[in-house]
Amino acid sequence: MGIIAKNINKSFGTPPVHVLSDISLDIKDGEFISLTGRSGAGKSTLLYVLSSLDDPTSGSVEIADRDITQMSSDELYRFRNQKMGFVFQFHYLIAELTAIQNILLPAMKFNEEVIRRPRAEMLLEQFGLKEKINRYPRQLSGGEQQRLAIARSLVMEPKYLFADEPTGSLDTTNAESVMNILQDCSRKQGMTVIMVTHDPDFSKLADRQIRLADGRIVP
Amino acid sequence: MIFLAMRYLLERKRQTLLTLLGVFFGTTAFVVVSGFFAGMQGYYVQQLVNNGAQVHIEARTDYLTEHGLDRDFFGPSPLHIFWAPAPAGVKGFINVQNPQSWYKRLDADPRVEAYSPTLSAAALFNLGNISVAANLLGCDPNKQAKVTTISDYMMAGKFTDISVGGNRIILGDELMKQLGAGMQQVVMVSVGTHPPVPFRVVGRFYTGSRGLDRQAFGSLPDVQKVNLTPNYINEIGVRLKDYTEADELARSWAKLAPERIESWGDQNQNIKSIFAIQNALRFSMIITVLIVAGFGIYNILNMTVNQKRQDIAILRALGYDTFDIIMLFFSQGLLVGICGTILGLICGYIVCRYLQTISFLQTSPSNPQGHLHIALTLKIYLEAAALALLSTSIASILPARSAGKLTPIEIIRQGG
Ligand SMILES: Nc1ncnc2c1ncn2[C@@H]1O[C@H](COP(=O)(O)OP(=O)(O)OP(=O)(O)O)[C@@H](O)[C@H]1O
Ligand SMILES: [Mg+2]
Repeated sequence: MGIIAKNINKSFGTPPVHVLSDISLDIKDGEFISLTGRSGAGKSTLLYVLSSLDDPTSGSVEIADRDITQMSSDELYRFRNQKMGFVFQFHYLIAELTAIQNILLPAMKFNEEVIRRPRAEMLLEQFGLKEKINRYPRQLSGGEQQRLAIARSLVMEPKYLFADEPTGSLDTTNAESVMNILQDCSRKQGMTVIMVTHDPDFSKLADRQIRLADGRIVP
Repeated sequence: MIFLAMRYLLERKRQTLLTLLGVFFGTTAFVVVSGFFAGMQGYYVQQLVNNGAQVHIEARTDYLTEHGLDRDFFGPSPLHIFWAPAPAGVKGFINVQNPQSWYKRLDADPRVEAYSPTLSAAALFNLGNISVAANLLGCDPNKQAKVTTISDYMMAGKFTDISVGGNRIILGDELMKQLGAGMQQVVMVSVGTHPPVPFRVVGRFYTGSRGLDRQAFGSLPDVQKVNLTPNYINEIGVRLKDYTEADELARSWAKLAPERIESWGDQNQNIKSIFAIQNALRFSMIITVLIVAGFGIYNILNMTVNQKRQDIAILRALGYDTFDIIMLFFSQGLLVGICGTILGLICGYIVCRYLQTISFLQTSPSNPQGHLHIALTLKIYLEAAALALLSTSIASILPARSAGKLTPIEIIRQGG
């Protein structure tokens, strides 16, 4: 169980530029992992490979005993929808939809918006967005937008949450509240959280810190 | 995805409206222009089909060519024959041979509605010191009225009056005016060098067509008598239950007897080619309009795909697959296409109904108000819908496919 990466290599272009070199990782279910390292070290690249958004050049990634590099695309999309949550540095909310519609977007894929609605409302309340349920993203502050994006990633109750610099575009207060939410997910709900961050203080909150340098794990 | 597609469309109302108008105008134009042309063509066909016989069985005379008589004189395969001078004249018969067998055949054929044997002769009409040459047509008025619409055009008298008693004629309006004749006056009619015979004018008809209105009708026995050809007829006019079978029937009958057999279409070849040109023009014009409308949709959808790259990326990350993304954009184009098409069909119909009420053409006995003839057949509407939806589908599927090919990782890495 958990996420097991074996000998992952990733290179771009010709001649190949090696971005990740022979990375092996074993992440237990419920672990809270932080990925740190200098800019260009390959943190984002590793996160995308682990989360199926990108393919490794070689090596394999197993999530819950299943090799995601071998899954059919139908299975993969269903797996992403049901089991994975994503938070990025930018919120990627859909401007034409209200807060609640944005949150329920993952649920619409398999027509679950009705059964997921109570959870969506609960998340909004928990994140202090209860009054803004029918607002459009442009009517929200940066911090509110990011919390909304996290709520969207949690609405399907995923087992795995992938976050790429979720606090990157936020001020200290907002960043702290986002960190609290992620810690909660891991501690209280047993989610497996993998978070890329530049902030050493936030990094320390994790169960385990993984440092990357030049595409390799620093022991 | 339809839900999100609708939100996208409503979010940029102006563009949506403009693309919708393109499809709308294209569809309206198709319905109106097609209705107009089809209506006009249908009207002319109806006129041709109803005013005259649909199949003509005529006595056949062929113009003699230089070697036209070779076989008759020198056997089946003559060689090196020189005539001095070359024969000239016509070959064949001036009357229908064995009309009885034709009557039997026509009576037995279930596709034949009615037929009327006639004898037409070039006659000289004299009244006082005015003489006018015109065609005199002998017929049985009851039969002729079933084959053509002549009896609908009677302005004075009844068409059947010619069969009551001897030597009565009905004159066309034009001929009547040229002769200066009035009703019940006696006109002297002569054919060729035969002595003139008096005829009483018992009716007048007016069809609006000069050629027809310069004719005269008499009863078949009377005309045969004037022509000194008792029992001769030189044409049988046939009306069919379905006029579109005329060509086929004419071909098959032609094999049975020496007569020349022509359908209404054969006698009006030029009209058919005019119709073909009209239809080609109509289609090319309308297809141009729809291609322009298609380009509008294509452009705007392409733009939208580019603007919505981030949305595509997040939808992908949330578990939406290629098909969902294609449908998201394809359905936008299709929604605009369907709405534009429906509105276009409705508007086209209304415009057609309006055009039907305005007096535009010259009035004639068959069209007393001079109304335009606009076709409202289902076929036009189905064609319009099919063409409009086809062009919008093609215009939408291309940008939609390119959206489906976008992978989330590129977009997210670039931060949008
Ligand atoms: N598509 C690509 N083509 C070529 N090189 C790439 C591509 N994507 C990433 N790279 C390179 O891979 C290296 C790692 O990139 P990555 O985004 O993983 O860094 P990072 O650790 O997340 O940095 P940051 O902290 O700035 O986000 C960089 O040197 C980058 O230039
Ligand atoms: Mg990064």
